[in-house]
Amino acid sequence: MGIIQRFNTQFKEILHDSELLFILAKRDISVRYKQTYLGVSWAIVRPVLTMLVFLFAFKNVAKIQDLSGYPIQLVIFSGILFWNLFATTFQSVSNSIISNGNLISKVYFPRLIICLSSMAVSLVDFFVGLIVYIILVFALGHTLSLHIIYLPIALVLTIVTSLGLGILFASFSVKYRDLLQIIPLIVQYGFFVTPIVYTSQNLIGSKWYIYYSILNPLAGLVEFFRYSLLVEYHLFDLNMLFISAASTMFIFLISLFVFHRREDSFVDHL
Amino acid sequence: MQVIDVTSVSKKYKVYKNPGPVSLKNGIQEIFNNKTNQEFWAINDVSFSLNSGDKLGIVGNNGAGKSTLLKILSRITKPTSGSISVSGKVASLLEVGTGFHPELTGRENIFLNGAILGMKKHEIIAQFDEIVDFAGEQIIRFLDTPVKRYSSGMYVRLGFAIAAHLNPEILIIDEVLAVGDADFQKKSLGKMKEVASREKTILFVSHNLTAVANLCNKTLHLEKGKVKDFGDTGQILTSYMAALQKNIFEHYFETPEQAPGNDLIRLKYAKLTPVLQENQSYWDIRHPFKIEFEFWNLGNTQNLNVSLHVFASTGECIFNVGSDQLTCQFGLIRGTLAVPGHYLNDGNYVVSFMVVKDKSIILYNFEEIFNFEIADFREDTTWYGKWPGYVRPSFSFPLEQITETL
Repeated sequence: MGIIQRFNTQFKEILHDSELLFILAKRDISVRYKQTYLGVSWAIVRPVLTMLVFLFAFKNVAKIQDLSGYPIQLVIFSGILFWNLFATTFQSVSNSIISNGNLISKVYFPRLIICLSSMAVSLVDFFVGLIVYIILVFALGHTLSLHIIYLPIALVLTIVTSLGLGILFASFSVKYRDLLQIIPLIVQYGFFVTPIVYTSQNLIGSKWYIYYSILNPLAGLVEFFRYSLLVEYHLFDLNMLFISAASTMFIFLISLFVFHRREDSFVDHL
Repeated sequence: MQVIDVTSVSKKYKVYKNPGPVSLKNGIQEIFNNKTNQEFWAINDVSFSLNSGDKLGIVGNNGAGKSTLLKILSRITKPTSGSISVSGKVASLLEVGTGFHPELTGRENIFLNGAILGMKKHEIIAQFDEIVDFAGEQIIRFLDTPVKRYSSGMYVRLGFAIAAHLNPEILIIDEVLAVGDADFQKKSLGKMKEVASREKTILFVSHNLTAVANLCNKTLHLEKGKVKDFGDTGQILTSYMAALQKNIFEHYFETPEQAPGNDLIRLKYAKLTPVLQENQSYWDIRHPFKIEFEFWNLGNTQNLNVSLHVFASTGECIFNVGSDQLTCQFGLIRGTLAVPGHYLNDGNYVVSFMVVKDKSIILYNFEEIFNFEIADFREDTTWYGKWPGYVRPSFSFPLEQITETL
C-alpha cells in the first residue's frame, strides 16, 4: 500500500510543479537550435538525409528488393521517424539527471520532472518530421491512411517505452557511469535489429518471431506505427502489439519503481 | 509555533577505499565482497527546533557539516537516520542563479530561475519589474541579451535579485551574501534585513560572523558533524569565537640545542599576547597586542637589531618595524614590541622576525613564528560586508553642520 501512496504523492507533487516542467521543456527547446543558421530545419535535414542514404544503399549498392510492396521511401521514412523519436527520447532521458546535476544538487523538486521535461526536444523534432512525412506522401502521389487516428496511441506507446528505458538508465547511470557508454550502442544496434529500414515481412514466418517481439517490443510498435501511417499496411499484428504494449508497461512500471528507490541517492553521486 | 523540528538526524557517506571512479565493476564487486568501505558521518545526531520567525545562524569550521545540514533541510538529500518535520513553504538558496542557462536571455532566465526556486509564473510576472529594478540599470539594458555575455557581477546581481523576491515561509540560505561588489552587497544585506524583519523563518550559513550576529537571534554551532552548541546568538558566538581563536601564542626552548636558529643566534622564547577587554574572550580589532621574545647571542660582541614583519595571510607585508640597535655580548637578549588596538583590520596575519647584524647582515630569520586571527567588531551598523583594507585605524574624523540654509 505504501508504495502506491508514495506514487500518489509524487504524482501530486509533479502536478503542483507542472509550471517548472514546462519551463524546463521550453528551456531545452529554445536552447537546442540557438546559434545555428538552419535552426529548427535541422529536424528536417536529419531524417531526410538518413532516408536518402538508405535508399542509395538499397537501390544502388545492395540492390535489395523489398517484397512487401509498399513504397520503400515511406517505409524507410516512417521507420526513421519512429526510431528517431525513440532514440532521442531514450538518450536524453538517460542523460537528463547527470546533465541537470547542478539543479539536482542545489534545489529540491520532484526529480521525475527532469526526466519528463527532457523529452520535449524529441517531441518537437518528431512533429516537424511528421509534417515532412506527410508532404513526402503527397509528393510521391500516395495518400494518408484513415488509420492515422491510431497514431496518438502509437505515439503514447513509443513515448512510454523510451521514457521507461530512459528512466531505468538514468536511475543507474548516476552512480554507474559505465551505462552511459552502453546507450549509444543500444541505439546503434537497435536500429538494425528492429524493422526500421526494412519491414517485418521476412521475420514473421520464423519460429522465434514471438520471442523476438517479446525481447524487442519496438518491433511490434514500429509496425503499429506504420499501420497508422501507410495505406493498407498488413504487416501489423494486433497480438504483437499486445506483446509489445505489455512488455513496455512492464519496463515502465519497473523503471518508476527503480527511480523512486534511487532518486534520494542521486545527489550523493553527482 | 514550531515550524522546524530536527530529531537526531545523521548522514553517512561512504569513503571508497580504492579511490577512482565508481564503476559498474566496483559496484558488482561490492555486492559480492563484504569489503566494508570506510564510513564518514557528515552529520551526526543533530537535533534542534525552531519557532516561526526564528532566524538561525549556522556556524562552524569548514567540513563541520553545515552544507550537508542545509541540503538535508531543503530535501535535496535524505538523512541516513533521524527525522525532520518542516511545516510551511520552503525555498533554499544554496547558490546564486541556480539553473541559469548561458544561452538564454536575462528575461528568460528570470522565469527559469524563479520557477526552479519555486515561484509561480504569476508571482514572477507580478514582481518582474521590481526584480529588474533591484538588479540594476545595467541589467535593464541587457535584459534581452543571453546571460553568457554578462559580466560575472551582472550575473550575480540578477541571480540575487530573483532570490530576494522569493516569498516563502522558510528560507534556507548558504553564503549567498558573499557576492557582488561592495555596493551590491550593501543592497542585498539591506534586503536580507528587510526580509528578516518579516515573520519569516530563516536558516543562514555564513562565515561572516558580523552578519550572523546582526541578522540571527539563534545560532547553531556545528563541530565535526555534531551540535557543539545551540542557543541565543550572542552567547553562542562568544564561545565560538573563543574556541576558534588560540589566544596563547608562545614558544619556549630550554636549551640552545633544541632551539631554532644557527651557530650565531638561537631563539629561546617568543610570546604574543593580545590585551583583551574585560569580559571578552576573543581578540577583535579594538585590542592591542604585545610581542615579546628572547634569543641567545652565541657569537662574540656584535651590533644587533631585530626587524619584525607582519604579513597578511595572502603574503603581502603589512608592516615592518626595526628595533633599536644594541651592542650585544654573548648571552641572552630580550625584545618587546607593543602594537596598539584599532590598528590591524580583521583577518589572518603571520609574524616573522629576523636578527640583523650591523643593520645589513641577516644572521637568522625566524619565519612564521606566530599565525593569528583578529575578529571583526562593529557597532551600530547596517552593513556587514568585509571591511576593506589591511589596517583599520580609528582616526578622528568628525563631520559638522555649518549652516541650516543653502
